[in-house]
Amino acid sequence: MKANSIIVSGLTKKFTYKAKNASHGWIKNLFVPETKEIIAVDNISFSIKSGERVAFIGPNGAGKSTTIKMLTGILFPTAGTISVLGLDPTKDRKQLAYKIGTVFGQRSQLFPNLPLTDSLEFFGVMYDIPDEEIKVRIAELVKLFDLGDFIRQPVRKLSLGQRMRAEVAASLIHKPQIILLDEPTIGLDVVAKKALRDLLLKINKEEKTTIFLTSHDVGDIESLCDRTIINHGLVIKDIPTTELAKTFAYEKYIDLIAKNKFTEFPALPEGLRYLAKDKAKITVVANVNQMNLQDSLRQLLGLFEVEDLDVYNADLETVIRHIYERDSTGY
Amino acid sequence: MKETRLAIKILKTLTKDRLQYPGRLMVDTLTVISRCGILLLLYWYVYNLKGGLINGTSFVFVAWSIFFYFSFSTLRLRDIARQIMVDIQSGNVEVLFSKPVSYLSYRAWWQIGLGLYSFLVITAVAGLGLYLLIGLPFTMTLSLFLPTLILTFLFAGALSLLIYIAVGLLAFWIEDVNPVFWIVDKAIMILGGSYLPVALFPPLMYKMALYSPFGASQFVTHTVNESWASNWYQLIGIQIFWIIIISIVVYFMFEQAKKKVSVNGG
Repeated sequence: MKANSIIVSGLTKKFTYKAKNASHGWIKNLFVPETKEIIAVDNISFSIKSGERVAFIGPNGAGKSTTIKMLTGILFPTAGTISVLGLDPTKDRKQLAYKIGTVFGQRSQLFPNLPLTDSLEFFGVMYDIPDEEIKVRIAELVKLFDLGDFIRQPVRKLSLGQRMRAEVAASLIHKPQIILLDEPTIGLDVVAKKALRDLLLKINKEEKTTIFLTSHDVGDIESLCDRTIINHGLVIKDIPTTELAKTFAYEKYIDLIAKNKFTEFPALPEGLRYLAKDKAKITVVANVNQMNLQDSLRQLLGLFEVEDLDVYNADLETVIRHIYERDSTGY
Repeated sequence: MKETRLAIKILKTLTKDRLQYPGRLMVDTLTVISRCGILLLLYWYVYNLKGGLINGTSFVFVAWSIFFYFSFSTLRLRDIARQIMVDIQSGNVEVLFSKPVSYLSYRAWWQIGLGLYSFLVITAVAGLGLYLLIGLPFTMTLSLFLPTLILTFLFAGALSLLIYIAVGLLAFWIEDVNPVFWIVDKAIMILGGSYLPVALFPPLMYKMALYSPFGASQFVTHTVNESWASNWYQLIGIQIFWIIIISIVVYFMFEQAKKKVSVNGG
């Protein structure tokens, strides 16, 4: 049986901030300001086994990034306990940093003006790896991440997709046991997203690295993680990703753009329902368990004269809402 | 050992980074030489009007005192305050906090690395130019000058970094440290002898320059004083005293600050 890499128990994080009170004078606001409190993470508990690939998702403001930052020791919890690889991040931050890697999708850790190889060497020294081992590890990462084409280019000249590959490679220079990724695919195009996901799967398989990621992209979760933890305020839901996939796979959203104007909105057959009705655009939700996509489109094109149409999956917020609605109604 | 290796790596990497922009170095050199040069021309004129001596000091002494101030300032250690503020405001602090390094020592070496190349080039070029133009004052020919200059320089660097780190860390409590930075920076400029050498200060200001941490962080400008040979150990003692005091202040500030980290998106 695999050991737990991460154990989180009763984790809570509150932020306080000073709020100006319009009814108070500026002197009172300056010297005796009112403080307000935000509960970013509210008493959550979960554990992750070594080698698992786990997505940590939730609506905006649910405390996903805050949780990841507490796991790395950047933020101090207000209450609760964290154990990462047997270490307490609040007390053993530096020691833990040798065993984990972090990628913050919106921030870069690389030197923009220098070739990527300089950044990789630099992080090798930072993690106290002997010079010879750094060379070997860089060669491994170049091969694994296919960095050879651009390793001698200044980082600022790389495309976003190449840079993200480089960011992940830099985070893996010290062969961490866990990699924590905060929105790693944010801003990437479809091809770059797929490439990054494939690489993460590869390091999980070849180096047995535990993956813990937050993302707003359903695709990241579906293709990368075998387990999903949904953080929705007070309640934590821990489900296999296949179950999550069922939730977003059975509903398709269809946007119909009017050729002239929609004047009538006739009743829809079973399996289809209106989500939004407008003279210029209608959004219909198709339950593909009741009516397959091809039939749904045929029905809709028979009812409406359209200029254009678009079919897409539910976004993550909708998926999460569905799961909670389904559970509360017993559906 | 690990810290030394990382420090050397930071210095090497940033020097390499600076080398990517030779034009920037040229502009920096010209800026410093122009600012310092204009000031020295004015002093040269005033000293000539006064017959070559003011308050018992000669132009050569004043020129080298101002040169040391400008040379030291090219290290741009003051910028660490704004760098820390930017880290805190932008949330970039999270990237460094997730690494196995001490944030403050990493930032300090980083700051030294950013300025080291310019400092070495500008000091060498401007120092040689000044020597060829006006020669050396008597104190600079003494055997104890160079070792004590290096010692004072190192302590001045450490003290400057600590003062500006304390200013930068205030960003954990107040969002914008620029007003505090401005006050501290001007205090250092004035008491450090940037535009008027400390030897020409009135008695009260001279004492302030001597006993305040702001003045002590620029004691390199005192190394050309005639009294340097007899009081260098006292001045270095003052520097060590302030380094200890401000280190303690910075330590406690940072311990409190770590608990106040709250980054964007978190």
